[in-house]
Amino acid sequence: MTVQAHELSKDYEYGFHDVDISVFRTEKGLSPEVVAAISDHKSEPAWMLKFRLKAYEHYVKRPMPTWGADLSGIDFDDIYYYVKPAGEQSRSWDDVPESIKNTFDRLGIPEAERKFLAGVSAQYDSEVVYHNIREDLEKLGVIFCDCDTGLRDHPEIFRKYFGTVIPPNDNKFAALNSAVWSGGSFVYVPAGVKVEVPLQAYFRINSDNMGQFERTLIIAEEGSSVHYIEGCTAPNYSSDSLHSAVVELIAHKGAKIRYTTIQNWSDNVYNLVTKRAIAHENATVEWVDGNLGSKVTMKYPAIYLMGEGAHGEVLSAAFAGPGQHQDAGAKCIHVAAHTTSNIVSRSISKGTGRTSYRGHIKVYPKAHDVRINVRCDALLLDEESQSDTYPYMDVNSPDVTVGHEASVSKVGEDQIFYLTSRGIDEQEATALIVNGFFEPFVKELPMEYAVELNRLLALSMEGSVG
Amino acid sequence: MITGSPPATPAAPAFALAVEERIATAHGWLRDRRQAAWDAFSTMPMPSSQRDEDWRRTDIAKLQLSGFQPSDGIDEPLVNAIRQRRDQGAADAALLLDAAPVTRIEQSDELTAAGVVLSSLDEAARLHPELVERALSAVGVAESPFVALWNAMWSGGAFIYVPRSVHAAVPVWVAHSAAGHRGAAFPATVVLLEDNSSLTLVDDYLSAAGLNEMFSDALTIVVAGRDARLDHCVLQQWGEGVWHVALHRTVLAQNARLRMFGATLGSRLQKAYWEVMLDGPGAEANISGVVFGDGAQHLDHQSLQAHRAPQTTSRLKLKVAVRDHARSVYSGLIDVERIAQQTDAYVQNRNLLLSHGATADSVPRLEIRANDVRCGHGATAGHIDDDHRFYLMARGVTAEDADRLIVHGFLDDALADCPHPGVAALIGELLEKELEGNAQAGIAVVDA
Repeated sequence: MTVQAHELSKDYEYGFHDVDISVFRTEKGLSPEVVAAISDHKSEPAWMLKFRLKAYEHYVKRPMPTWGADLSGIDFDDIYYYVKPAGEQSRSWDDVPESIKNTFDRLGIPEAERKFLAGVSAQYDSEVVYHNIREDLEKLGVIFCDCDTGLRDHPEIFRKYFGTVIPPNDNKFAALNSAVWSGGSFVYVPAGVKVEVPLQAYFRINSDNMGQFERTLIIAEEGSSVHYIEGCTAPNYSSDSLHSAVVELIAHKGAKIRYTTIQNWSDNVYNLVTKRAIAHENATVEWVDGNLGSKVTMKYPAIYLMGEGAHGEVLSAAFAGPGQHQDAGAKCIHVAAHTTSNIVSRSISKGTGRTSYRGHIKVYPKAHDVRINVRCDALLLDEESQSDTYPYMDVNSPDVTVGHEASVSKVGEDQIFYLTSRGIDEQEATALIVNGFFEPFVKELPMEYAVELNRLLALSMEGSVG
Repeated sequence: MITGSPPATPAAPAFALAVEERIATAHGWLRDRRQAAWDAFSTMPMPSSQRDEDWRRTDIAKLQLSGFQPSDGIDEPLVNAIRQRRDQGAADAALLLDAAPVTRIEQSDELTAAGVVLSSLDEAARLHPELVERALSAVGVAESPFVALWNAMWSGGAFIYVPRSVHAAVPVWVAHSAAGHRGAAFPATVVLLEDNSSLTLVDDYLSAAGLNEMFSDALTIVVAGRDARLDHCVLQQWGEGVWHVALHRTVLAQNARLRMFGATLGSRLQKAYWEVMLDGPGAEANISGVVFGDGAQHLDHQSLQAHRAPQTTSRLKLKVAVRDHARSVYSGLIDVERIAQQTDAYVQNRNLLLSHGATADSVPRLEIRANDVRCGHGATAGHIDDDHRFYLMARGVTAEDADRLIVHGFLDDALADCPHPGVAALIGELLEKELEGNAQAGIAVVDA
């Protein structure tokens, strides 16, 4: 599956962008008026406007977090908080505007569509312009639409769960998202329904200085299962963009949710995302989280294990090239007894790139018979790269087994030697070792994503000699 | 945004008086240092669990410094108990008894004959100001409110100087003690090891068992030259009313080596920084420790392994057992600078929770800026393994004895790293008493 590194061009493959065709955008910067304008434009119910305005207050009140990555480069007044592209929501591929189609062509979406994709929900700027759900999913009662549609067409389910996992006052960026959110996916899987094919959505930023604030809400009823995949590729812009999403997952008794992300924003995007799941009795939640792009990412997928027998998995991979800071990690909060979690993190830093693993494990006093395992490994490719590990562990119950192991090292000289002595040049050898290092992550991805990831990795590895 | 800065620590009136006197009697650089430290302290807010990452898990809001006054020596029964303890751990050791305002020195002839300087820090600052200044420069005047307060307030204290190529033949036992309700102590150990010298040092913090509320703001500074060797044992057995804040910092030059072992048993609340600066190529530090907390004790250890030169090695192993409602907090940082290639560093923190209500936090951090390194950490928390208990009980051991044996085995693994066998035996005995459950924090003092 390895792609020959030298075959790939050095240019950022997805660093193109189309002529801006948006039909409605708010003025730059944020105020209660802008928040109200967004809500008004979407003809939202009064409770949502109230929710947004309250969130805006929290956002203004909260200080900028200073404990993590450097966020001083964001100019919040120089951002469009809502941009609606031309064209209404389309159900068929033919209705999608030609220029947008071109964009998707280069991302390979129509190809994916021809395969057996369950539904494609591609976010082009703030509004979903293309959406398709296979009929058999609809028959099963599965709802898969963008969040705006979810609010409009399924108000009862939507309101019952929206903002319950991540309240608007959770943190500054969750508050910002809650105030100005737009688009994102809404998934509802009825009891006992097992969605066999992964649900996929592509998110894209197209307008210069466009903040992207999508909101995803996934509910899996008792005994159901679903796999949601989100991939991001953004055009390359000269000025910085902000992406601040909120993702809420609710896995009811015995349900299973897997959420896969490969984030490849262009390297001027600040990617500040809050992702959190609630796992009820015997439910399983898995975050598969890959971070390759962006200038700065701060993202720590969390699982609250609220019901007995719940299980959580976080599989995280990060690659930080020159100028990038991937501040990623995982949180597992064990509230109930007999719960288990497993975290595996692999990260690579190259050039002046910096990867940070930031994790939090917490076991509440009443949570007995808890097992937790954390494994973080980091590779440093050259003298300029940096890696940090910040694992926080709070254990308040005696009946637990918690293990945490971390390592930081460079690519082994003996490994390089082994490969080069067999006629593989050093660059390729390094790429091979890096691919192997990410193997635990890559093997959890569907085929086309694994191929894309390896391709992107090979591209990132270009020009590095271990 | 936090608007305005939080209020500075209310100056303890008794401290202000003492500082005034100390500044008046000091000369030159020391006078300036004390003044600068006091000025800084007067404007610094106390650490807050809301504001300061280092203090997030250790809340000292209830520590009201304004109620304390400098401790005024200790009485003879306690001195005797301290002597006995030294005899038990290392009978041949020179004794420096740091119980301000006076530092007693006993049994030091053998070392002084070899050229080792043993004195109070006060006297050293008068007689060897350049040596004291050299050592103190390893710690900033106002790195934190507690360091600033220490710099302004210390008196008495212990100073040890080992000249070039001198190997101290017997250990130096520095006992730090205080007495009296609301007494404050500023224990001081300042050590300068010249190139190719060696020393075994015991820092022993202790007070009589009992509920006396006291405050201990301690500093140990060791500056070790090229190829110097230091074996350092730190025992903390303050009584159960004592707040203990301590910074232990060792700076290692090229090929210098530190073996440090800490045993934390006493106090109501401890925040201790264990720091090693690996400043010279080839420097090596092995740090190990045991912690036993019971009752409502709060024992916080924060380590720093700062790799600032190539080919440096550090190891840290901390084994923690907590019972009742005790809480252990361990946080640590392996910090590798860009220049420190071929660093080899590891941290191991293992926690055993013996009761519902006992808690253990672990935050082992890594910040790595060099690439040719081997760094890592392992942290675990758990309870007594039922299989182990079953194995012992199947052989006729009662459940209580089985648990005690298992905890012993768990802690002994670290105790084996203690560089001085006599001190290791003493700590083993103290742990035994803790495990039996009838140990009080602090030491028993018999009136003569």
